[in-house]
Amino acid sequence: MVSVNPDFKKNLSEVEKAGEIDHCYQCNACVSECPTARLDSRFNPAEIVLSASLGLGELIDKDSIIWECATCYKCYEFCPQGTHPVEVITALKNVAYKSGNSPEEIKDSRVHVIENGTFIPLSEAIKKRRRELGLPEVDSTVAEQVKKIME
Amino acid sequence: MKGTDFTFFPGCMIPLRHPQIELAARIALPQCGINLIDVRGFSCCPEPWNIKASSLEDWLTLASRNIALAERGNRDLLTLCNGCYSTLKEASQILKENGEKQTISEKLSPLGLSLNGKAKVKHVAECLAEVGAERISSLVRKPLKGLKVAIHHGCHLLRPSRLVSFDDPFNPEVLEHLVEALSCEVVKYDGYTDCCGNAVRSPELSLSMASNKCKAMKDSGADVIVVVCPACFEQFDFGQLEIKRKLKKDYQIPVLHYCQLLAISLGNDPSALGLQAHRVGVDGLMKKIG
Repeated sequence: MVSVNPDFKKNLSEVEKAGEIDHCYQCNACVSECPTARLDSRFNPAEIVLSASLGLGELIDKDSIIWECATCYKCYEFCPQGTHPVEVITALKNVAYKSGNSPEEIKDSRVHVIENGTFIPLSEAIKKRRRELGLPEVDSTVAEQVKKIME
Repeated sequence: MKGTDFTFFPGCMIPLRHPQIELAARIALPQCGINLIDVRGFSCCPEPWNIKASSLEDWLTLASRNIALAERGNRDLLTLCNGCYSTLKEASQILKENGEKQTISEKLSPLGLSLNGKAKVKHVAECLAEVGAERISSLVRKPLKGLKVAIHHGCHLLRPSRLVSFDDPFNPEVLEHLVEALSCEVVKYDGYTDCCGNAVRSPELSLSMASNKCKAMKDSGADVIVVVCPACFEQFDFGQLEIKRKLKKDYQIPVLHYCQLLAISLGNDPSALGLQAHRVGVDGLMKKIG
């Protein structure tokens, strides 16, 4: 069922900033080069761009198809109109995060990076492996600075 | 060798999950005249999938902090990872082209950091290409003759070409020359510049992408997959275990970061490189190399 999400419409300018969204003439060059579309026909970058330009809010959901984007930038490279579907998709993801509609792993990654400074925590096991390989100790003082800047 | 100094940006995945790649880089690069200078305080680049997906503004802020830290030294920055390369290079372009520099500078100022736009962001492959394939070839102590290499560039090394401008995104040749410099044979295969699938959310889709690439590489007769990114490394190395378990396909193609292949070819002892940490065993490969 087609529905217009008024909250999403308010954020549309953010999405439009990402790519020349209105220049898309649905040539489907992005679709033919997309590795996700090749394996799953539900993922269609041209349809995503169209849906975003119409202000349809159904893509703003934690289970939306937008999260299957491989961010491989093939669409960016092949788009003749400079629409850059991958950037439209990233902007849609930003809108979803802001409105509390992103998958748990997106929130978890942020917590990791903001609390530890790194994407992956420094474990005792890795400290041991690094010592065995004769590698220098990892700098673990970064978390404070990251917290300061992200507040 | 006197060489050129670079600020070393280690990222997260290599030092915290695959430190054997860092070890190979720390051994091989100075032998090619690339000196890695450690700088304290770097955070996650931040990675261009989840953090960028949550907030472009936060992604740019964190990346800018890292760039500002790198700019304290009078050196370019070197990374071993396509994700770090993509984030830091794109962010430094945004700081040059868009009007966001002022806002970001205000956030960095209380930390005693500023942006001067002087440090260039470079991928290790770019730094090695600047050394030159011929020069590298002259340093080789163990030519890897007859070794068939399937190169996997990784998306963010090549695309978006307007921003990364590393190589021709359709017919890349920089890594090819670097692999050939070690006397290896580069094999071409279907889907040569395709994605490894690491950033795809659904495990089934992600594994299928990796499996399709592995099949094409296997069909081309590849002895080894050579990558220049820890995310691609993980997708193919650990990924082949998952592919065997879930898709019942067993490819058994060892995976090496280019720095590891380089270290071996420069005559360093492979048994001292921590390669036993790789999930697809490298014993057969080492036997072939001799």
